[in-house]
Amino acid sequence: MGRSLTRSLIPAGLPALVALSACTLQATTYMVTVAGLGGEADYEQRFALLANDTDKILKSGGATDRVVETLKGPDATKAKLNATLSRIASQAKAQDVFILMLIGHGTFDGAEYKFNLPGPDISGTELAIALNRIPATRQLVVDMTSASGGVTTALKKDGRTVITATKSGMEKNATVFARFWVEALRDPAADTDKNEVVSAAEAFHYAQTKTAAFYTEQKRIATEHPQLEDQQKAASFALVRYGSAASVITDPAKRDLVAKKEDIENKIDALKFEKDLMSPEEYRRQISALLLELAKTQELIDK
Amino acid sequence: MKLPKPWQALAPVVLSLTAAGYSQTLQQAESLWRSHDYINASSVFDALLKAHPENVTYKVRAGEFYYARHDYMADAAKLFQEAIALDAKNAQAYLGLARVYEEEFSGKATEMASKAIELDPKLYEAEELKARIALEDDDRPKAIAAADVALKINPDAVNAIAIHATIDLLDDKESPWVAKVGNRGVGYETIAHFFVINRRYEDGIAYYRKAIAATPDLWSAHSQLGVNLMRMGFDQEAYKELELAFNNDHGSDASTRNSLKLLDTFKDYVTFKTPNTILRLDKKEADALRPYFEQQMKFNIALFEKKYQYKLNAPVQVEVYPNHEDFAVRTMGLPGLGALGVTFDTVVAMDSPSGRPPGEFHWASTLRHEMSHVFILKLTNDRVPRWFTEGLAVHEETATTPDWGDRITPQIIAAIRDKKLLPVAQLDRGFVHPEFAAQVIVSYFEAGKICDYIAERWGEPKLLDMAKQFSKNVPTSTVIRDQLKMEPEAFDKDFLSSLDKETGHIVKNFEEWTKGLGELNKLARQPDSKPDDLLTKARALEAGYPDYVETGNPYLIAVKACLAKSDKACALDEFAKYSKNSGRDADAIKQYAKLLDEAGMTKPAAAQLDRLNFVNPLDQDLHERLGALYLKTGDAPLAVREFEALVALRPVDAAGAHYNLAKAFNIQGQKDKAREEALNALEAAPNFKPAQKLLLEVSGEGTSK
Repeated sequence: MGRSLTRSLIPAGLPALVALSACTLQATTYMVTVAGLGGEADYEQRFALLANDTDKILKSGGATDRVVETLKGPDATKAKLNATLSRIASQAKAQDVFILMLIGHGTFDGAEYKFNLPGPDISGTELAIALNRIPATRQLVVDMTSASGGVTTALKKDGRTVITATKSGMEKNATVFARFWVEALRDPAADTDKNEVVSAAEAFHYAQTKTAAFYTEQKRIATEHPQLEDQQKAASFALVRYGSAASVITDPAKRDLVAKKEDIENKIDALKFEKDLMSPEEYRRQISALLLELAKTQELIDK
Repeated sequence: MKLPKPWQALAPVVLSLTAAGYSQTLQQAESLWRSHDYINASSVFDALLKAHPENVTYKVRAGEFYYARHDYMADAAKLFQEAIALDAKNAQAYLGLARVYEEEFSGKATEMASKAIELDPKLYEAEELKARIALEDDDRPKAIAAADVALKINPDAVNAIAIHATIDLLDDKESPWVAKVGNRGVGYETIAHFFVINRRYEDGIAYYRKAIAATPDLWSAHSQLGVNLMRMGFDQEAYKELELAFNNDHGSDASTRNSLKLLDTFKDYVTFKTPNTILRLDKKEADALRPYFEQQMKFNIALFEKKYQYKLNAPVQVEVYPNHEDFAVRTMGLPGLGALGVTFDTVVAMDSPSGRPPGEFHWASTLRHEMSHVFILKLTNDRVPRWFTEGLAVHEETATTPDWGDRITPQIIAAIRDKKLLPVAQLDRGFVHPEFAAQVIVSYFEAGKICDYIAERWGEPKLLDMAKQFSKNVPTSTVIRDQLKMEPEAFDKDFLSSLDKETGHIVKNFEEWTKGLGELNKLARQPDSKPDDLLTKARALEAGYPDYVETGNPYLIAVKACLAKSDKACALDEFAKYSKNSGRDADAIKQYAKLLDEAGMTKPAAAQLDRLNFVNPLDQDLHERLGALYLKTGDAPLAVREFEALVALRPVDAAGAHYNLAKAFNIQGQKDKAREEALNALEAAPNFKPAQKLLLEVSGEGTSK
């Protein structure tokens, strides 16, 4: 997630998060995708395909600030997953970002969640232990399996954002959330703030909307209700960057313009925050003026 | 309820049971029932049935109780069947079962009623029921004969009297029988029922009012009055009548309960009016659907005004229900299929495209079908046989737009093969009292094909001539003789011969074709299958049954084979055949449009995507693609329509949708609107550069001005 999205989601007066996202610019992002045990040929194929697509998307663009690893099929064993996580634990630093995406089936027995893998499964607690060893203070876990809501408690930790495909461990049917999550990574429409970065919050919103629409359109009772505990934190995880999103303004002559742009952005955020307190006409008048000013400033920066 | 309450007719039986010794609890049940304490009556009946599982009388009485409770027809049928299993000579059980079947418009009702009268020749109610069923089939001689038998047994049999009165009234004649109904509301209720099932709702309402005037506590008449007022758009009075019925005897009647629930949901709807249209849409989808529905309503009005040479004197009202159950409430108690749409006078109720899984039904085809009914019912003053108005409506689905409508299905092929089509003079029976599961669908098909045949052989205006003669309350046989100058039997022969020419080869080879399609699909799933083999087999199957465009159809397998050979021209050719034969799978048509666009045929590509708007106008991806194509072809107004629909559907990418709409407005020269939409895009995504550029351009600001 780039800076502008952070601003658009957070009212003015929350500089901590802005600083946090600025900090990510120098950090390495470790991204691990695991396609678990399908059980049936159809699921096996589907999970592997989703993992392949994710791997391809994350590696595209040749970003040097990220390490992408994918485990699928017979390689997606508990031992190999633990080995991968241990290696990252030895390499990552506190300022780094760690993202884990789990695709497949999960189970929940009322107390413990398990992610189904070839051979022994890995439990939520075991996963938490492995993740706790990774020094990266900002972690994102996207558990897209059935019953994934059952993992939330085990993974709870400061600095860690957890997204699950289901509301609780009791939603046990195979999920479709993963399909739309991966779609979000490749569909520019998921980039709702048009900053050329798809953040975890945007991908979640995209996949959540599409999942709900899937059940509505198919006239089926929804058996999964995706969950995200902290929208603002999720907005700070950049999953996919494209275009010139990563380019940084270095021209000292434009520093004033950049400062002006940030000032307008902050005013827009503040105005949105106060929208409900104003008449619609007055809000429209003020936001229109600010947006026009922002567009003019951007044009000067881009010259 | 459409018949006298069973307990009234059976009071002597109850008394004799009382004398038999096990009376106390049955008496309790009857007493509770009479005092409208249905919960406790039900408990006592259940206890009786549990304690005496072999007692036939208890089963029959409990069956009558559940039958009268409206919502428990399945329970009633089960009890009557169990009673018959225990005592195959129990006439009351057969009569009870006949009544249940009649409520469901089942073809088995007459058989059961006949059995009842055979077992008890004095059971005049069974003859009354037979008369009712015959009249529902529009078999008047049979209805009169049965009513007369009932009157011979009981000269004061009110429903037999009502049948006679109904026949006269349906023929627009004064009837001496009406006076004989006297102050018995059930008689007028029967007359009203027949007006309603003959789609003469205003007359039906008048007779329900008479029924209530004669018997103010006839709650079933209050309920039906409410239902029919609602059908005619008189919602306030409808609510009053339904609530009255609900608060008295009719709380358990699904039609009453669900109609009230539906009226309660009307606050979630928004109504759009023009001089000749009224469109009621659910607020959630109103903005997205309105342009497409309104445009089609206006098109249909213009089309039918010209074709039928008739101008409506009131606007057409179309109600679109996103919840299929809400729509289904509108058709409860009516014969026929009514699965997608239904017409009451100038009011059309139909499923919304969101009421079914995407792509499952062609809403525009349904709307044209129903609006044909509006014109034909008004033109004939509601005096038209069911087969003709349905047949004409089916004919209209494809008459103007050949790729709309439904195609011949395997069920219909089976019916043709098994020679189950009905003679034209008896075709109404196939709609009202079907004798096999698919007969209603088969009857729609047959009626439609008959109208196609008449239009082809005698010319389209002949259909209008027939409609005009039907308006004089002339039966089908006479109309066929007068208009087509042939006997109905000769017409049937010629029609079947023509149908055979069209479908004979499909019917004859259907089993072989089915086997071939299975083999083709199996082959297509094999990774090493050769494209040329697939193509040869697919094309042979296409020729064998060109109308088959459903799951596993040969056209789309052929498309894949063509693309496997990188032969886009071949794929386009296969897609064209699929589309022409009404293929409308969204993914397939989108792929077809993409190929057309890539081949430089942008306008045909847009035309293909536009076909999908008549199937699923709630498809965001469709509007985005189609809008983009219209931008490319310079059709700015259409691009605006598409992107406005997209914006109304609240897509995930709100900024993108507003930006595209801004571009379309800009091309159209509507700078102010373009500016507003650019601002909307930027409000969602302030740093969206293309929208910023457009805003500066349309505002006359920035360096590009």
